[in-house]
Amino acid sequence: MGRIVYAAAMSHVLYPDYYGENVGPHGRKMVEELIEVVRDMGRTLAATAPDALVVVADDHLNVFSFDAVPALCVRVGRSVSRMVQDDAIEFDRALDGLPERYPVHEGLANAILEQGLQAGFDFAASWSAPLDHAFLSPVSTLYGDRPVPPLVPFWVNCFVAPQPTAQRCFAAGRHIARVVADGPWKVAVIATGGLSHFPELSLARVGQSDPVFDRRAVTLMEAGDHAALAALTAKELHDTGSHELLNWLVLLGAVSPARARVRFFGEMGRIDLAALEWDVA
Amino acid sequence: MSRYDTNVILYRLKKDPAFRDRFRSDPSTALAGTDLTEEERQAFMRWDVPRLNELGGMLHLLLSIPGLGH
Repeated sequence: MGRIVYAAAMSHVLYPDYYGENVGPHGRKMVEELIEVVRDMGRTLAATAPDALVVVADDHLNVFSFDAVPALCVRVGRSVSRMVQDDAIEFDRALDGLPERYPVHEGLANAILEQGLQAGFDFAASWSAPLDHAFLSPVSTLYGDRPVPPLVPFWVNCFVAPQPTAQRCFAAGRHIARVVADGPWKVAVIATGGLSHFPELSLARVGQSDPVFDRRAVTLMEAGDHAALAALTAKELHDTGSHELLNWLVLLGAVSPARARVRFFGEMGRIDLAALEWDVA
Repeated sequence: MSRYDTNVILYRLKKDPAFRDRFRSDPSTALAGTDLTEEERQAFMRWDVPRLNELGGMLHLLLSIPGLGH
C-alpha cells in the first residue's frame, strides 16, 4: 500500500535578483532567507526517498495557449522538458542552467488521470507541456545537485477565469491521496506559488499584497481547518491576489486532515512569501 | 467580446519573435484581420499596457513580452 511520505508548499519565484530589482534589498534578503529554508526542506524530502514527486503548480500563460486552457491537467508520458523561450523574463531565464529533461512517473501519472476520469474528474492530459519556473524553481532548490525523482506535474488554471473552485481543487487532492493509498509507491507532494500578489490581476495594483488574508490562510492551515480554506470563493482569491492558493488547495486535499508547520513566512510588500510542511508520516 | 482575441495577440507577441518584430515595425499591418474592437486596436497601436490590462489583457502576458515594456 502506498503512502504520502512528504508534503510541503512554498512560493515559487526563488530568485533574489528578481526581488532585488523589483522590490529592493529587503526583498532580496527575504527571498534569500526563504531559499535557505527550502534547501533545508529539500534535505528532509530527499531523506524520504520518494518513488515519485507530484508537483502542483500553475501556468503563467507560458504553456497553454488560448486555444484551450485546462482547469486541471495531468502531465503524462515518460519525460518532461524544461521550458525554453527566447528572451524569457528573468525568473524563467534563470532556468537556463537546469537539466533539459526530467523523468515522469508514468505509472502514478496514468493512475491519477485514468482513475480520475473514472471518478468523475474531467482532468485534461498533456503529453508535451513543458515546465516553467512554477515547477522547476522549487524542485531545483529542493534537490540542488541531488537526482530529482520521477515527477508528476499537475497544473491548476489559477489565472484564466473561470478557474476551478477551491472546493474542486481540494477534491482533486483527495483523489490524489486515494490513488496513492491504493498504489504501491511512496509519494511526495508539493504545491507551489503565492502568497498574495497581483490582486485582481490589475497592473495598477502590482506591488500590493494582502498580509491580513495571508496570515489568516496560514493560520487555518496550521489549525487544519481545511473546510474554511476550501470554502474560499473565486472573488476572495481574485481580490486578494491569492489565485495560486488553488495549487495549495490540491495539496491540502491530499494531506487532509494533517496540520501544517510554518517553516517560513515573510511580508515583503509586493508579495508575501511562505514555506510550509505537513506532518504526514 | 474580444477578450479572447486580445489575449491571443498578446500570447503571440510573447511567443512568436517574427510576429513581435512585425508588430514593432508596423503594428497596423500586424493587426490586420484580427477581431478587435476599435478601442482595443488603438490600445495595441499605442502599446498602452494599462489600457490593454483594463480591457481584459492578461497581466502575466503584459508583464512578460520581450522588448515591449509596461
